Formats: sequence, C-alpha cells, structure tokens
Amino acid sequence: MTTPPKMRDLAHRLLAYEAVEGKTSELEEAATLRVYEKLRQSLGEFVGATGFQSLAFRALTQAKSEAPGLWAVQIAADGSLQGLGEFEPQLVEFEPQLGSGKDQASEGGVVLIARLLGLLLIFLGGTLTLRLVQSAWPGAAFDDCNSEIRRKA
Amino acid sequence: MNTEDRVAINKLPTGVPGLDEIVGGGLPEFSFNIIAGAPGSGKTTLAHQFVFANATPERPALYFTVLGESSIKMLRYQQQYTFFDSAKLPNSIRFINLSQVVLEKDLGAVLEQITKEIEKSNPAVVVVDSFRTMVRKPQSDLDLQSFIQRLALFLASWQATTFLIGEYAEDELRDNPIFTVADGLFWLRQTPERNSIVRKLQIIKLRGQDSVPGLHTFRITDAGVQAFSRTFGLTGHLKDPPSHRRLSFGIPELDKMLGGGVREGDSVLVAGSSGTGKSVLATQFIAEGIRQGEPGIVAVFEERPQAYAERATTLGLDLETPQKDGKLEILYLRPLDLSVDETMHSILEAVQRIGAKRLVIDSLAGFEMALSPGFRADFRESLYRMIFALTGIGVTILSTVEVDESFTEFPFSTYSISFLTDDIIRLRYVSIDGQLRKIMVVIKMRGGNHAKDIREYEITSRGVVILGKRLTDYQGLISGIPVRSDRSDPSEGPSQDTGIEHKT
Repeated sequence: MTTPPKMRDLAHRLLAYEAVEGKTSELEEAATLRVYEKLRQSLGEFVGATGFQSLAFRALTQAKSEAPGLWAVQIAADGSLQGLGEFEPQLVEFEPQLGSGKDQASEGGVVLIARLLGLLLIFLGGTLTLRLVQSAWPGAAFDDCNSEIRRKA
Repeated sequence: MNTEDRVAINKLPTGVPGLDEIVGGGLPEFSFNIIAGAPGSGKTTLAHQFVFANATPERPALYFTVLGESSIKMLRYQQQYTFFDSAKLPNSIRFINLSQVVLEKDLGAVLEQITKEIEKSNPAVVVVDSFRTMVRKPQSDLDLQSFIQRLALFLASWQATTFLIGEYAEDELRDNPIFTVADGLFWLRQTPERNSIVRKLQIIKLRGQDSVPGLHTFRITDAGVQAFSRTFGLTGHLKDPPSHRRLSFGIPELDKMLGGGVREGDSVLVAGSSGTGKSVLATQFIAEGIRQGEPGIVAVFEERPQAYAERATTLGLDLETPQKDGKLEILYLRPLDLSVDETMHSILEAVQRIGAKRLVIDSLAGFEMALSPGFRADFRESLYRMIFALTGIGVTILSTVEVDESFTEFPFSTYSISFLTDDIIRLRYVSIDGQLRKIMVVIKMRGGNHAKDIREYEITSRGVVILGKRLTDYQGLISGIPVRSDRSDPSEGPSQDTGIEHKT
C-alpha cells in the first residue's frame, strides 16, 4: 500500500513551508524534523505521548517499506524521531536509481510525514486532520488538502 | 434578603434535547458535576453534547482525557453524531491528554497540569474523562479528598462549569467524597429487560435548581443523547380551561347518543372485541375532525400508516390528502423497546407540528406491546400521565382497546383504565335471531348527559352506521345472549338520561 496522494501532497507542502521558514543552508532532514516535531507537539497534547508514539511507530513501519532511506530511523519512547539523516551506504553505492543520500532523506521525510497524516486521515477523517494540521501551523492558511499552503496575511 | 439581592444563577443549555427541562431549565453555570454510570451508558456522549453546545473561541472548553478510550478513537466515534461540529476544534474545544502525568506522577502534579492548562485557556467548560481512572491509583483518603476539594475550588474560581466523568457503582454513593463535593450528580443506567435495553437517567442532586425527580428514559441516536422527561416537557404549561365544545364523530346518531358529541379535551375509550369496528370508529372520528378543520394525529401500532390510510379509503374516507396538506399525521410506533415517555415525545412533537386537536391511539394493546417489558408493568400509571398531559393541552384523545368477549361479564377494558377516561363507548357482539350482530352503548360521559340506549349498528362501506331505533325487543343484550321480550316500543328515539352521571 502506498501513501495516499493527498497526504503525500500535504506532506510535501508542509516540508516546503518549513524549509522556507528555516535557514536555506539547513539540511533536508531538518525540515522533516521540524514538521514532525510540530505534529508531535500538537498531537501529543491531544493523544498523549504514548498515543503519539504508537501512531508514529506505525507510520514509520509503513514508511520504511516505501522509503528504504529511513532504515536507521527510530521512534524514541517519548515519540521523538531519531536517526534521520543516516543513509545506508550500500544502497547509495549499489542502487544508484534510489538517488543520493540527500534525495533519500527528502523522499523519506515526505513518506514518513505523509504516512503519519494518512493515519490521522483514516482515524479522524479529512476535516479533523486538516484542523489538527492547521492548529500546528497557525501561521499558514489551508483552504483544503489540495490547495497551496499560504502564509496568512 | 429580598429577591433583588439574590444572585442570579445563569442556566446553560445542556445541548441534550429534553434534558434542559429535566434539570430545571438548564445547567447552573459554574457548577461542579459528576456524570456517573457503567461503561456504555452514554456519559462521554452527554458530556460532548454539553461541550459542543457551550464552547466558544472566547470561552473554550477543555476536554481532559485520561486513561481509557484513546482520544483518537473517541473523536472517531463522536464525530458520527450530528451535534459534532468539526469547526469548533481546536479553537473552541481543546482535547488534552493527561495519561502521562497520571501514570508517572502524583495527584499534586495532575492538579498542577490541569491548573496550568486552565490558566492558559480560561475555559468556560472543563471535562475530565474519566476522572475515575485519574484517581484509581492507591491514595490516602486525605490526599483524595484534598485533591477533589482543591480541584473543585480552583475550577469554580475560574468560573468554569465542570463535568467529571466516572464509572461508579451505586454502592459508592455513600462513601466517595466526590459525591459530597459535587453540585450536580447525573446517573446514567442501561438495564436489560428481557430482550430489550432500557436507558434511564436520574438527577440524584443538582444544587440551586428545581430538577424533575425520578428516572427519565433516554435514547442514544445519531443525534446523540435524547432525554424524555417524565413531565413530557410540559412543566409550567398551564392547563387549558375546560371547553364546552362538542366534537362530532361524523355519525349523527352516535353524536346524539353522546349528548351532542365528545366534549373537547376528553379522553374517550372505545372498547370492543376483535372486528367490532373500533378502528373504523376511530378513523371516522379523525376524518370528521379534519373535515371540520381540526388537525389530527393517529398513533398506530398494529399496522403501517399506508395500510391504515388505504383501509380508510374503503370507507370512503380520504386520509392521504390531509397527510399531504399537513393536517394529519399517522405515526407508526413499534420498536418494541419504547418507553411511554418516548412515545409521548413523538406524539407531542407531532401535535405541536400540525396543531392537532384530535388524537387516536389505535390500540392500547399495540401500544403496550411496543413498550419495553419493564414499562408494561407501569402501563396504567404511564397512561395516566400521558392522558393527563395531552388532555391538559386541549387535545381530545380517542383510544381503542380490545376486550375479551365474555357472555358472563361486560368488561370495559383489560387494563382497568376506565377511571382514566372521561367517556366510554362499548361495542360488542350479540346473538340475535341466529345472527351475530353488533350493538353499541355509551357507558359513561364524565362531563354530561348521554343516551342510555343500546343501539344496533353495522360496518358498511360508509363506516359505522347505526341502525333504527334502540333495541327494545330484547332483554339481556349486554350479556351477548339476549332473550326476546314481548314488549316493544319502536317509536322511541334515543333517550337521554336525566343528569345522572354514570360512574364505572
């Protein structure tokens, strides 16, 4: 099962939003971490640390099957993300079609965030998922899952 | 202290249809309430309805979840209810999970966390779900009491109306300090009664409020909890003054027997065995009302509305057009686990919807069967409440009841409810000249004179038709096996009694 396109798109836009918010010199994985942390804060309040950790662990398990670049990533007991940015050297060396480590980090980040959002979509539906995302990014304007994320005027 | 000096307690809408009436007009603002009951009794749903009805971005609701149902699954299920408004999340309603602090720390830390969140949000409503799981860890009585006391004081000081939800057993009522501190105690129960489940709600206490005592039935539908007050939502409704108007059956001879018709606001019982034409008479009563501009309700339990209307057509009575015109509603009420209060709610809603003046309940036996077994035991008492409430708002009720045909007795009802009715019309079979014929007699009219005549009638394509004059050639007609007497006086018309009220 692959990532739902809508969630993949939303993940892309969140990562792009955070990349712009952060310093341009930051690594790709920094944006992923910032998106993840914002979701952890927002969802953690709502479902508790254990609840978030369970969701994140499930999302990571799904994401790993789709993005091998996440092989070293783990979810800590408090729900935080560890090991992002560590790439399996053999994969980069022997499977060039997977792209560079940077590409893998970028794709892995999208897939992980999309999977996490996908789980919310399954459990809570589109409206509530979008509302939770909105509460985590109060500075951004979301019209719907398919629209661009804009900075609020 | 005069009235002007007293503090006015603001009443908040509960968001639960029917519950405002039960709690005395709304929930007291800043009250500290417990919703108790077994798992599955509807506690969380009730709290959600209150939260969605009262939370605003300026004064939001904080919904603290602890152990138990996960927040994600709770929202997954709760959003199926029609009252759930996603737009209220998260600005007006915030869900905060306290599991970690409850599991890892003591009650002091829990209170600190709650305090911090309340200071941050300044909520109007606070819910802790489930409070029971929050204090389940072994605590000394003093610690627990102190925690509850401090929590209650803090929440009241912050002007929050609070609900603590808990799975409590009724034998805990005496010893648990939480029940002493609480201003309001809502107890929800669901009990199996043979194959039916009956949900009941009791307001065990509610400080500062004149709540309706007793057990009120409630139902959980896709709209959430719907409560049915024992007072049928008619608290404070002034009884209409008695009317002197007479309502016609559309059967002139019967109207004459009734002294001009049924007195408006009466409860009429039409009793007879199967096939005697009770439903036909009821249909004629309702059709005549519509003809005279009096909207009507027919509550049927034994056949579908369509079949009821089709049968009326065979009598030359059109019940389809008035239904389309909003002058008639045929209610089919037969889920087998109804309470009288719920049935009454449906009827009252329909009465108010179309401004009904006449109501037919066809039949009491079907009505009884539609009730959950537990309510059947209280059927007589329930009928009393229902009839009193409906006639109180000026509705004239005609109920049909099937009685076993006996050739030794002349019963009016199998429910011993004749005292609840103002007027009784008895139909019965009688064996005359080798034929099974039908006779009709007005047994009682509480508000006036009526004919004492025993009249023969037939059911024709025009409905009930009363034949000829009163039967004077026979004795023992009400026994069903009369004997011919030599005396006859066919010239006499319907006779009126002389003011003697017939008691039954």
